Amino acid sequence: MKKFKFRFSRRAFAYPYMIFLLLFVVVPLVIILINAFLDDNSKFTFANFAEFFSDAGGGLTVLGNSLIIGLVTTLICLVIGYPCAYFLAKYHASNRVFVLLFILPMWVNFLIRTLSTKAIFMALDVKLGMGTVLFGMVYNYLPYMILPLHTTLVSIDHSYIEAAEDLGADKMTVFLRTILPLSMPGVVSGITMTFIPAISTFAISEILSSSKIFLFGDAINMHFSKTTNSFGVGSVMSLVMLVLVIVANVIVNLTSKDEEVKSTL
Amino acid sequence: MKKIVSALAILLLVCLVLTTLASCKTEETDSLVIYNWADYIFDDKLTDFKEYYRDITGKNIDITYVTFDTNETMLTRLTKGDSNVDVVCPSEYAIQKLIELDMLVPMHYFDEQAYTEDFSSNVRLAPDGDEVYYIHNSGNVEQGIIDKVSDAFGSIEITAEGSNQHKKVSMVDYFVPYMYGTLGILYNKYAFKELGIYDEEILNRANWGILFNDDGQGGLLSEGLTGSILMKDSIRDSYAATVFYLLESGKLDGLKNDDGVAYADMSVGDLINAVDDQLLALVKDALTEQKTHLFGYEVDFGKDDLLTGNAMVDLAWSGDAMYAVEESWNDSLGDEGDYELSYYVPHSTGNIWFDGWVVPKTRNPAHTDAIKLFINYLNRPDVAAANLLEIGYSASVKSDVIKSDEAARAVLAEGYAVYAPELWDAADEDGNPLSQEDCDFADWEEFELYFFHNSYLDEDGNLVSYDEISNSNWRYPFESAATNADNYRNIDSLGVMRDFGTKNKAVVTAWNYSRSAGVNALPLLGWTALAVAVAVGAVYLVIYIKRVVRQNVKIPQKNKPDDSGSEQ
Repeated sequence: MKKFKFRFSRRAFAYPYMIFLLLFVVVPLVIILINAFLDDNSKFTFANFAEFFSDAGGGLTVLGNSLIIGLVTTLICLVIGYPCAYFLAKYHASNRVFVLLFILPMWVNFLIRTLSTKAIFMALDVKLGMGTVLFGMVYNYLPYMILPLHTTLVSIDHSYIEAAEDLGADKMTVFLRTILPLSMPGVVSGITMTFIPAISTFAISEILSSSKIFLFGDAINMHFSKTTNSFGVGSVMSLVMLVLVIVANVIVNLTSKDEEVKSTL
Repeated sequence: MKKIVSALAILLLVCLVLTTLASCKTEETDSLVIYNWADYIFDDKLTDFKEYYRDITGKNIDITYVTFDTNETMLTRLTKGDSNVDVVCPSEYAIQKLIELDMLVPMHYFDEQAYTEDFSSNVRLAPDGDEVYYIHNSGNVEQGIIDKVSDAFGSIEITAEGSNQHKKVSMVDYFVPYMYGTLGILYNKYAFKELGIYDEEILNRANWGILFNDDGQGGLLSEGLTGSILMKDSIRDSYAATVFYLLESGKLDGLKNDDGVAYADMSVGDLINAVDDQLLALVKDALTEQKTHLFGYEVDFGKDDLLTGNAMVDLAWSGDAMYAVEESWNDSLGDEGDYELSYYVPHSTGNIWFDGWVVPKTRNPAHTDAIKLFINYLNRPDVAAANLLEIGYSASVKSDVIKSDEAARAVLAEGYAVYAPELWDAADEDGNPLSQEDCDFADWEEFELYFFHNSYLDEDGNLVSYDEISNSNWRYPFESAATNADNYRNIDSLGVMRDFGTKNKAVVTAWNYSRSAGVNALPLLGWTALAVAVAVGAVYLVIYIKRVVRQNVKIPQKNKPDDSGSEQ
């Protein structure tokens, strides 16, 4: 009689998650890929691509707008987030309360936060539009910028800074030549964690502009939930989005030469 | 040892299976899976139905209630797999699609013989020996709905491949009407008064142009309306409203469709279903142009935005609109309080829609009794009254039947706090009897005038409409068209919208285009680039100045080693 051998190695612990990944990440992606090439009657077609890239439904315009808004959001988050993370790390490294204050908004559901933001804008008689959407984006994604930055900045070995000072660098030089390069991993992951959700969001633009600012996420959402037979175009859009995310990651990884700096997203 | 353990385990398993099987057999419980719109039934009526079902059949019933929020989600779920449901309540155009796909079972509700044919337990003996009868309620259904639907859909051709392909069928055989309503304009009456446009003549001239800030003569309806208009985030409804607007504002004058028929000569029903490229391009342009006047597009928040003053006008369905109007009662308005919001269906053109119950082919055949009894139960006047009270739409049961049914009157009287002790106990939650003053309506007649005719009797006994503009009964358009002499609306002015069919994709593309138009993020990019440039420039300038200053300081200090900044 043959003996069944089951080797219970440490690797076995990874299997459940591997199966999960396969079922809920890989399979859906494949379905999207297939859908992108199917027409209403499930026949192979390139028409979905033609429809999207011909910009008949304004898809490319929407994509361009989304990219710009995502870019600007990321930039503002970086400009606000970096000094914030820097001073948090420098003066309050041991004091977790301040860090907590920055994460605190994330404990409230983001839809509730965004609806409240709208209520505040309406009460202040601010016209909903591009400005309010941008505000909502920055407000929502700022913590995602600050946290990785803060973690990297706190973990910088202080002796590097002392060494730089010893060798005669002034404060500006210390920052530009020592701290900034050493914090690049944080900057990179902060940018990816902000930019990618910012180009795909739809709830923020929907609420904070009363759906007037129509972003890429809104367009994809529309193709899947408001119609029955435009899954194809919606899938093409999702694919474009996926490619963009990959491209963004590659660019970020290329620009940061250090091996450790590679983005993990 | 091992053998004993496994033997025991098997024994245990067998016992378990046997007991479950046994328990299934002893309890006679039927089940029913209902797939309905969210918030589209009075929950108590589901419980009542269980009782009714026990009365008729002597069996218990288990109800699984699942909801959807758009016809599209429902269609996707039914067509792409998960379709373990017995009864569904789609809108008319979705029913058309389901019939074309050959996914529905014909019910022949309006032919009693055919409908009850396969009831396994039509009549049974009650415990006390009396026979319990099932009462067929198809006679309660408003004939106007059946006519409208037959008229709009004619015969539908089944296009799905299979034995039934190319068979032509009638929609009426497949569905049982449940609720219906109109598409119209919900607006803030007092905001309109402030703008000076709360005037019958002005609004009737502007017509659907109210949503486009067009006074019907090419000018703006009001400057103040810009930025205060809400549009429904729904392709079909927005399309219908836009086509009406194009017609009413004369933008279709002289234009003809591919067959050479002038759009202006078409009936309302034909016009909203005449989706061709020319019309679509016009609709796209109108919707794009409209965007500059909009506050935004709404799905759920329209009512709140109207009441808080963020917006003044909204494209709305009658049920939502009437619910919003009734919620908007404000004691501080007018002399004795007034409804702040109002609902207006322009008189010459409009859309009427129907939702009804259908049975998918994938239903569980064992549930047939439950399916038929449930659908029929909903057309009982008191059940219909309770449901329409709860959800705000008009039930398909004739208003005359509701008015004359004692139980239905009692439901409405209690729901609207009518002082009618002969109908209900007219008491508050603690059981204290209410006086006539405590109630919202002094008697049934006053309520009936309000509910079915949207009007009241003034001190001199004249019939006055709550709303001078619409001046029509929008809750029961069929009745109003037939009986209300003051009403200029003809039921023919309300068109039923079919599925866009092959034009579906083109409509989605046009809608997407208008939605994306008018947003340009390029200036934003420009400003950001400028800001970045300025910031970088400033930093470099500071560094440069610092260096210069340092060098200037250094020059007089001769004989010192050239180390900049080091303190050691």
